Amino acid sequence: MSLPVSAAAIAADIRARRRSAVAVAEAALAAIAAGDPALNAFTHIDRDRALRSAAAVDAAIAAGGDPGPLAGVPFAVKNLFDLEGVTTLAGSKIEVGQPAATRDAFLVRRLLAAGAVPMGALNMDEYAYGFTTENAHYGPAHNPHDLARMAGGSSGGSAAAVAGGLVPITLGSDTNGSIRVPSAMCGIFGIKPTYGRLSRTGSYLFAASFDHLGPFARTLEDLALTYDALQGPDPEDPAQTPTPFAPVSGLAGIEGLRIAVATGHFGRNAHPEALAAVGVFAQALGATATIDLPLAAAGRAAAFLITMAEGGNLHFPDLVARPQDFDPATRDRFLAGTLLPALWLQQAQRVRAAWRAQALAAFEHVDCFLTPTLPCVAPLIGQASMVVDGETLPTRPMLGVFTQPISCIGLPAMAVPLARPDGMPLSVQLVAAPWREDILFRVAQALVAAGVAAAPEVTA
Amino acid sequence: MPNPFNPAAYAEAAAALIGLPLSPAHLPGVAANLGVAAQMAAIVMAVPLTPADEAAPVFVPARPPA
Repeated sequence: MSLPVSAAAIAADIRARRRSAVAVAEAALAAIAAGDPALNAFTHIDRDRALRSAAAVDAAIAAGGDPGPLAGVPFAVKNLFDLEGVTTLAGSKIEVGQPAATRDAFLVRRLLAAGAVPMGALNMDEYAYGFTTENAHYGPAHNPHDLARMAGGSSGGSAAAVAGGLVPITLGSDTNGSIRVPSAMCGIFGIKPTYGRLSRTGSYLFAASFDHLGPFARTLEDLALTYDALQGPDPEDPAQTPTPFAPVSGLAGIEGLRIAVATGHFGRNAHPEALAAVGVFAQALGATATIDLPLAAAGRAAAFLITMAEGGNLHFPDLVARPQDFDPATRDRFLAGTLLPALWLQQAQRVRAAWRAQALAAFEHVDCFLTPTLPCVAPLIGQASMVVDGETLPTRPMLGVFTQPISCIGLPAMAVPLARPDGMPLSVQLVAAPWREDILFRVAQALVAAGVAAAPEVTA
Repeated sequence: MPNPFNPAAYAEAAAALIGLPLSPAHLPGVAANLGVAAQMAAIVMAVPLTPADEAAPVFVPARPPA
């Protein structure tokens, strides 16, 4: 039996007893066994737990109960989420040998409560510090559309597993773009909700003042279904802002929404095809307005510095005691992050507030703005530099050029894939005001309905 | 005029200040990353701020009683 395409279809089949959760879990395990050697998306496959969880779903249905909206849907999580009984690696070698987690992360518990079935843990950049998932310890994650290319990062395994059809939904984290960048490279939907929307309890943090968690899916319907299941109050997360449950499943209609294309920083720094994707979406939406956000580049720079400093401070004991055990790519950034002048950091924190004020003022005139998610299609694995606007630049930091300003100030943002019959995936970032994820889902639904947004089929 | 920025020399001096042993093998990578950080710092330092521009994080002593 092959794995059905969507989470919604799987849950509908299982709730209607057209197939069993155990049969779906076995199909997912078979898909992972067949597909993962090429993708290197999984770092841990938990067959026993998957089958045990699936059997519990089937038992609940047999007893006349409803296991929830994600009944029997296989999922997997970036390996910085705690899974009970498994050591949380956060992409590192240093954490190997640490005690296993004694409790699932909050968002894992939410998915389990909705009936979903956990398959295991996924590859990532070490300690989430990267946009490429070229992990020196566990190997690179490969892009399902072209195995020679990056899956993106830091949640590369989360995007590759979904795009490659191993599981319909996954979870990842996004500090500077780590959900949106791999979603874009692999041509799927991913949402970074408002900072403070979803609990982070039980995840290995990176730069806490920017850390967000969120879902990945091949369809907008699945993304909404998953996001709705993830919402819930958690007094244990000091960064969560208590908000009422705000479901997005089934939202549609963009009447009255003011949609604009971001210019300035967001209209340069990119290859023409990335900018052209924004034009396709703008045309489909009838969006002719533009918006300039002059502090976006400064916001990106502020996020860059604060991230370095927070990460460097977090890992300082290991940087002193065992620097040789870090991934070389992340180690040197963390080391440099311990050495930044306080003057820069405090300025960055004040610029962050000024950028937030500018963006919030802009939302008095627009409800949603569009940017490219990435400056380019997925680069080749190992590609150290890229040419943008005639300038040769290091690939890694450039990949966050459009996502980093947005997470800097906690705005909700969604990576939406351009429907494309061939070629590597392209993606557009939708951005809304804080707590307006509903607007992102409405605009994305309009793009899907217009036939311009969809996850491209993997043909490789 | 201040001296031109020498990332490797700065890294060694600052690492000594905070008690961070810095392997010579790691120094070039650290210096390169400090160079990128300096470019980012130039952008944030060029933003004109006033004394009214408070930093982003606001300290909260505790959540107020419900």
